[in-house]
Amino acid sequence: MRAVTGATLDEARAAKERVRAALADRPEVTGIGITRHGDGYAVKVDLVRACTAVPPEMGGVPVHSEIVGQVRKR
Amino acid sequence: MRLDSARALKAQLLEEVTSVPAADLSAGGVWSMTARPIEDVDPVARTLALGITRPTPGDYRLALRVQRRGLENTRQVDGIRRKARGEVDVRYVGHVVKQALPWEQTRKRPLLIGLSVGHYKITAGTLGAFVRLRKGGALRVLSNNHVLADENRGKAGDAILQPGAYDGGKSPRDRIGTLDGFVKLKTAGVNLVDCALAALDPKVTFKAAALTGVGTLSSATAPPAEEIDLVEKIGRTTGHTRGRVTAFELDNLVVGYDQGNLRFDGQIEIEGASTEPFSQGGDSGSLIFTSLGHEAAALLFAGGDQGGSNGKGLTFANPIAAVFDQLKANLATK
Repeated sequence: MRAVTGATLDEARAAKERVRAALADRPEVTGIGITRHGDGYAVKVDLVRACTAVPPEMGGVPVHSEIVGQVRKR
Repeated sequence: MRLDSARALKAQLLEEVTSVPAADLSAGGVWSMTARPIEDVDPVARTLALGITRPTPGDYRLALRVQRRGLENTRQVDGIRRKARGEVDVRYVGHVVKQALPWEQTRKRPLLIGLSVGHYKITAGTLGAFVRLRKGGALRVLSNNHVLADENRGKAGDAILQPGAYDGGKSPRDRIGTLDGFVKLKTAGVNLVDCALAALDPKVTFKAAALTGVGTLSSATAPPAEEIDLVEKIGRTTGHTRGRVTAFELDNLVVGYDQGNLRFDGQIEIEGASTEPFSQGGDSGSLIFTSLGHEAAALLFAGGDQGGSNGKGLTFANPIAAVFDQLKANLATK
């Protein structure tokens, strides 16, 4: 796998849409956003539970994932 | 001693201690009675409290807590020591009082950012900020729909309480105003905000820019979420906390409400910057502001118990610009 570095904000936004499409049917996914990565940005996937379908990168943009559990109104 | 022995001894001694008149326990004049109003006299005399302590795993002792000076060396305490064969931990604890409530959960006038507030039918949330309607400039209180409008169930004119009902707020005594309007939460489709406004009753005073214990809220607009790092909030439950933005433009965020799971797009995610969570239940409606310039950045509405670099969960918030656009209002700092 080639090394990935932080992307520009526009690149991260485009990669986020591709990750969203790739994970559209995954019930483990509870949010897809953008996070900081070094001097640039990466895609962040929030999960209710572990999901092996999250890619480590999308078109050279790093993809982070984190188990955040159930989100409730506060 | 063993746990069951400690329990049996405690039960036996508790009966003896509570059957001894307070005057006898105070042999030596420790409890000399002074003239004072009858309402100042404790209906329950402070004497000795009994429990069990575990100095090392598997080893138990009687715990004797002395609530008045001078009782440590009385005949009763000596007798307890003998019956426990020395296996007793005696400590003076003095006058035990209930813990004072945090200011955020008390009744406060003038109203302040961070106070307990809520529709009369809900428990309690947080008063986020004061805003002015773009049309006409009338002042309103900002919080979440699920705090001021009971998840779409509230009606314009319903009483808003400070503190919220869970913190003892009652109508009409603690009414500060009425529900004015809200952005409806949608069970189908995408939500951008969870927000509502309340109109204040005449003569209810407020301090629009005071960030109690922190400083003053700026009237300037916060930079876009991608440029924000450190943030803070003052909330009903966890008070003043610091956090860090961990994600933004967060879409497909699924949040559990009474009416089911709702989807939110364009949200901001925050982790606690210390060893504590950034928020907990009851902090909903808190205004999140930048640490750098105290500029309004987001409206707190949801959270979970997992994730974050401190493992204490994540907090989710609506960008404040989206909140103001939907409500057609601007921040008030005067």
